[in-house]
Amino acid sequence: MEDSDWFTLLHAAWTTVWISGISIILGVALGLVVAMLRAAKIPVVSQFLAVYVSLIRATPMVTLVLFLFVIAPSMGWEVDPRVVAIAAMTLNTTAFNAEIWRGALTSFSREQLEAAKAAGMTTGLTLRRIMLPQMMTTSLPGLVNEMSLLVKSSPAIAMIGIVDLTRVTNRIAAVTYDPLPPILAAGLLYILIIGGLVRFQRIADSRAKRLAM
Amino acid sequence: MNKPTPVVEVRDIHKHFGGIEVLKGINLKVERGQTVSVLGSSGSGKSTMLRCINWLEVPDGGEIYIGGDRMGVKSANEKPMSNRELAAMRARTAMVFQSFNLWPHLTVLQNVTEAPIHVMKVDRKDAHDHAVQLLEKVGLSHKHDAYPWSLSGGQRQRVAIARALAMNPEVILFDEPTSALDPELVGEVLAVMRSLAEDGFTMIIVTHEMEFARAVSNEVVFIDKGMVIERAAPEKFFTNSDSERVRQFLGRYRTASA
Amino acid sequence: MNGFKMIWDNIGLFGEGLQNTLVLFCVSGVLAFILACFLTFLLEGAENIPRKLIRWGLDLMRMLPFLIFLYLLYYGLPNVGLRLDVWSAGFFALITYHGAYFAEILRAARTSLPAGQAEAAYAHGFINSSMYWRILLPQMVMRSGPLFGNQLVCLLKDTAFLSIITLMDLTAAASAVQAKYFVPLPPFIFVIALYWSVTLVVETLLRRLSRRAQKRGLVHE
Repeated sequence: MEDSDWFTLLHAAWTTVWISGISIILGVALGLVVAMLRAAKIPVVSQFLAVYVSLIRATPMVTLVLFLFVIAPSMGWEVDPRVVAIAAMTLNTTAFNAEIWRGALTSFSREQLEAAKAAGMTTGLTLRRIMLPQMMTTSLPGLVNEMSLLVKSSPAIAMIGIVDLTRVTNRIAAVTYDPLPPILAAGLLYILIIGGLVRFQRIADSRAKRLAM
Repeated sequence: MNKPTPVVEVRDIHKHFGGIEVLKGINLKVERGQTVSVLGSSGSGKSTMLRCINWLEVPDGGEIYIGGDRMGVKSANEKPMSNRELAAMRARTAMVFQSFNLWPHLTVLQNVTEAPIHVMKVDRKDAHDHAVQLLEKVGLSHKHDAYPWSLSGGQRQRVAIARALAMNPEVILFDEPTSALDPELVGEVLAVMRSLAEDGFTMIIVTHEMEFARAVSNEVVFIDKGMVIERAAPEKFFTNSDSERVRQFLGRYRTASA
Repeated sequence: MNGFKMIWDNIGLFGEGLQNTLVLFCVSGVLAFILACFLTFLLEGAENIPRKLIRWGLDLMRMLPFLIFLYLLYYGLPNVGLRLDVWSAGFFALITYHGAYFAEILRAARTSLPAGQAEAAYAHGFINSSMYWRILLPQMVMRSGPLFGNQLVCLLKDTAFLSIITLMDLTAAASAVQAKYFVPLPPFIFVIALYWSVTLVVETLLRRLSRRAQKRGLVHE
């Protein structure tokens, strides 16, 4: 493999990273919103969100990406593949994050909540000062695990023409007629990216354990 | 003659869980500066009664008054209070729990200043100074920046007491404050509670610590099967009770500790 | 064109796609599980070089995206002389990839088993294979129930990647019908509903199995 091929690979790796990155950030935040909306038990909204979460968690990323890509024009949406990719990945990871946040919400220590009530804290104050700071720490391992799962399903976006770290191997192979080296190189880069997330998860794990007292 | 309003008044409280009636008409009045101990067997309903006072449990019948004001229900129209109104009423009381219930992501000092700053909107510096004072009072001046996980049970409970005091409550409710502690650590917590009683705080203590109740209370209340069986000064209660049930209860205790 | 008619007219294609997906899912699921049991068995016992290598290999596998692994098998192997057809590559990829994940689940369950008989045996330097298969493994499996369910759903979703290497699975069917009429909504909604249904069936089955296991005292909640 030539040096220029490495450059192409790194550029494609960056594409994977930034598209996944945006989806991750949006997905973590939106997942929390969905979990809180479900906890608020608003009549129609809660059922709708429950169906959304169940449905999307059962849909393969490839199918979701393709689906959004082909219906975008007829819906009048943006057809830029990168936007569709981010939309599909965000939609997907939000559903998984919503379950993680929901678990943190429902398993939150009742005892601490009683102490907050007894001290005269309103629900909003309790959420803001007592629950969220701790939930962010305790949910982190699960959220980071979901982040690495998202990166592992990101090759689906290659289906709609984005030159990510997977599709770029086709590109390089088309010129060199030698697919093995770029695939191995891409694999290595993926391992580095996901390995970084795994290390991050271990750190998050040990911090979460301290809060459990 | 103007009789002062009791700090806490419990009138004919009823409560059932599922099909079981746990409180069958409890009456209690606690005046300012009194220390009242509430004794009884497990399942007698004493903790439930205490938790009704700050509306952590909602009674099915009867009324509760804090400093003369109706708790949990709007006095104007008998409708349940909003969360905001409840919070405001609760801020006038304080509770010390059996399992301490400290907030683990905050330091000792932050645990004590949290409610004053965010609920009572006290100025940060004032809250800080007050907290320092209180932590000294409970003997934990050297632990300001420690986190709850690094403290012993007795230390955690003392932080919980300081946290309760920080609210300048009209009454402090103690729900079996030493039941979860190792025996060696019980003493340090009881010592703090004793000094609070001597300082004149109004306290309602649900406890199994008979010696403590006898030494420190102005009054002892005995609850059995959801009803107040006896209410008397400690000497009368422990040596010369009118109630057969009380004597039975104390007899078992004496045999156990003999 | 009416959505229902569109689906009905192409029901053969959808049927083929569903069948292929289910075959891949069921066969790979079972074989991946069996593979994981063997891998975990190999890892039983004292720490040595081969075991370290296996562990590393499994960890590495779980840091790779499935599609890259599939590419490696399908596009990369011909380089070294091994040409796999689409089905073989698909099965091999699904079985080994998810075998690694199942093995990780079993490994975590293994460490949660109370110490005792097994440890005494290892201290004497031998591993009784029947003890593993008849005593340790069933407990490990029962303890991990929901995790297996999650992993099976991941396996199901990974079958969709095979549409990229032209295997006619459920997603490929949706794509093909969409390309025929340029009306995307019906075929994709139908296919998504099918994926959802399979997932619900798997989750229900597992819940029933776990309830049976609880009744027999194999799991305590």
